[in-house]
Amino acid sequence: MKFEKTQRTPLVEIGSNSCLIKGECYPENIAEWSGPVLEALKKTLVDANTQFNVDIELYYFNSSSAKFLFDFFEFLEDSAEEGKKIRINWRYRAEDDTMLEAGEDFQEDITACEYNLVIVEYTSEDHEPE
Amino acid sequence: MEKNKDTLGLHTFMQDRKTLFCYSGPLTEDLLTTISNPVRHQLSDDETKETVAKRVFGVFIEQAQNIIRYSTQKTKSTGDSIGTIAISVADDGFLIEAVNKIDESKKDVLEATLVELSVADQKALRQMYKKRLRDGPPEDSEGAGLGFIEMARRVKHFEFNFVESEEGALFVYRGWVS
Repeated sequence: MKFEKTQRTPLVEIGSNSCLIKGECYPENIAEWSGPVLEALKKTLVDANTQFNVDIELYYFNSSSAKFLFDFFEFLEDSAEEGKKIRINWRYRAEDDTMLEAGEDFQEDITACEYNLVIVEYTSEDHEPE
Repeated sequence: MEKNKDTLGLHTFMQDRKTLFCYSGPLTEDLLTTISNPVRHQLSDDETKETVAKRVFGVFIEQAQNIIRYSTQKTKSTGDSIGTIAISVADDGFLIEAVNKIDESKKDVLEATLVELSVADQKALRQMYKKRLRDGPPEDSEGAGLGFIEMARRVKHFEFNFVESEEGALFVYRGWVS
């Protein structure tokens, strides 16, 4: 399942044992965008019987989207507590203190999932406006 | 001279105060989508660090969405929210300004919140942000109730005041990013 990136929403790719979120997130209405994403993730995770890898690489998200990320992690935690094996990689650029801090903040509530903060190289095409 | 005939005065005023971007009028999410890229482009010259540009952009987006959600001045035909938002070059960074009409009855709560945020250090702001995320939005919030905390974390310093006008209370916000 793939949700194409737009100017104000990130790319989301959900495979049978992986989920990638990459880009920027400040949509007009976060619930409208995140509803189908969470729904697709839930359906996929039910059937996942090997390790499920979640990669999140955001360059910017607004405060309304922070709530979505909080709910997203809470769902992953609940799933892990019920026995799913989940690894989360929070990917951020070395110089991006804001995204590092955000990654650390979410990490505090996560115990059942494996959670890693991963530094990524900056590539200019990652950040080209639409 | 009528005020709106002073076109050169408008130009000179904006140039003198080093305003890079200013919008005053009905603000919608569609318009915000349209102006996001030019605003970011303005901020991304070689001399501005990307981390600074991102902080400015972050405060700009939160302020624009505050106007869209909470301005009580609306267009007659479509009910779009009216306000003013600007980004200017300041001594050691940027100044983000916003003005909009607010619901008079919300003034005291907003004032108390902003006073609390203005005296909090970064560590306290981070804790407040996390607490708000866990607790969920306050009752009268259309967003996550995080916007002003987010802005306080991104700015070096901010000021605010309320101005009484004939049509109601105006909320004035000024935040400096460097």
